[in-house]
Amino acid sequence: MGFDIKRSVSLYSYQDEYYDKKLDLEGCLRETAKTGATGVELLAEQMVKRFPLPIEDGTFCHQWFEWLKKYNLEPSCYGAFLENRIFDNRTLTLKEQIKMMESDLHLASLLGFPVIRTLVSTPMDVIEGSLEYAERVGVKIGLEVHAPFSLNSEWAEGYLSMIRRTGTKCFGFIPDMGIFCKNIPDVVRDKARRHGALEECIKIVDDAYAKRVARGFVKIKYGLNLGKANMEYRIANGMNEMMDAIQAAGGGPADMEYAGNSFTYSWSDPQDIIDNIDYIFHTHAKFYNMYEDYTETAVAIPEVVEAFKKAGYRGYLSSEYEGGEHLRDAMEVDSIEQVCRHQEALRRAIEE
Amino acid sequence: MAGRQIYNPNGFKNIEEDGSVIGYQFEFKAQYYRGFTLSIIRDIKINVDGVDEPRENIRITVNGETFTLEEARTVIDPEYRWEFGDYAAVTVLRRGGLSKGRHHIKAIQIIAPSYMPFQLEPVCETDFEI
Repeated sequence: MGFDIKRSVSLYSYQDEYYDKKLDLEGCLRETAKTGATGVELLAEQMVKRFPLPIEDGTFCHQWFEWLKKYNLEPSCYGAFLENRIFDNRTLTLKEQIKMMESDLHLASLLGFPVIRTLVSTPMDVIEGSLEYAERVGVKIGLEVHAPFSLNSEWAEGYLSMIRRTGTKCFGFIPDMGIFCKNIPDVVRDKARRHGALEECIKIVDDAYAKRVARGFVKIKYGLNLGKANMEYRIANGMNEMMDAIQAAGGGPADMEYAGNSFTYSWSDPQDIIDNIDYIFHTHAKFYNMYEDYTETAVAIPEVVEAFKKAGYRGYLSSEYEGGEHLRDAMEVDSIEQVCRHQEALRRAIEE
Repeated sequence: MAGRQIYNPNGFKNIEEDGSVIGYQFEFKAQYYRGFTLSIIRDIKINVDGVDEPRENIRITVNGETFTLEEARTVIDPEYRWEFGDYAAVTVLRRGGLSKGRHHIKAIQIIAPSYMPFQLEPVCETDFEI
């Protein structure tokens, strides 16, 4: 059972340069090609102006394919958002949401993407209702498995039983490698320090995270009320005890913020990849801070890539840099260098 | 070491109509990572020099079209998305505008991406000169 692991870059990674107008969409593609990646992941709503009009009328598609040819890239995944609360007074009906999902599938197919990424907030009925259309246009729907969610959980089981019930080949998971964090990323800790967090409180939070990793995280339950599900998850994973300890140590808002942020990260056993490989056709290789020696601050890159190899994965690992948000209040962000280092780390893990 | 720029440093000005100053204007970028329809802006709160501006006096302009915050609730036309990395102009109606000299603004963009269990409420603060 051989593996065929390709490398991609999600243009989400370049958001700080794009925001500052140092890179436009073509610039992002150029930088992607420079890293040695062969795939590109696009959030159309991020970088295609007047979305979705220029995709629908074809004016953007022409340009897009010209760029792909010029930079020798192939489309890996299209990030969809399903704005089902586009009006503040109601949630769109099931039919409206399916129509919206089908629209994204259509747009993805026009741009040559084989997969769209949908978010954990997407109701199961909407996914199920779009499967027939997905099959027709040849685009798969991948549900992002992002912390605090995880594979091998009651939550994921619900989707697996839908796959078994419908027999669909058009739906699966897109794991986000933020579910493989051995510790809290250093950029998050440094931000907490800049905001005035106490060393004693930082230690309480770091120790609590280490304990969660050692003991195993209590899994989040399925529920469309994500706020409620998330709060239950936090409490089950010791949030109240941690907050009490911080309060007792004299912690303030910066300490509470760091404690709250710690739940944005989680640790799953890389074996989860192997167990679910039949349902994984794209992967977000999330990262937060790459060092000069090509190691990452938190994500267990070698261990996770090893699991993909063992499982015989055939698909992309798509770099998704998310460290910028912890730096940009105080300093300039260099996503270009970060993505380069990450691609090299992936290359080494895949090839060596 | 400077953080990201939110406001257009050259965008602060008083607005005149028929020879009298009817308000002031500034430009800022949305503190979110994609473009979105104006309908998911739940509110923009503005405080200049410690004084809150009434919601009904606030206007937002994208791509040459101006809306009240009440009107923005129903704007889903792709022509008027608040594009990622682009400034939107905000006009505050206030007779006489702002006095010449230095001021401080604290604005909160309340944005509700559908998939998030909570609203984004980034606080955008800066000193500026009129």
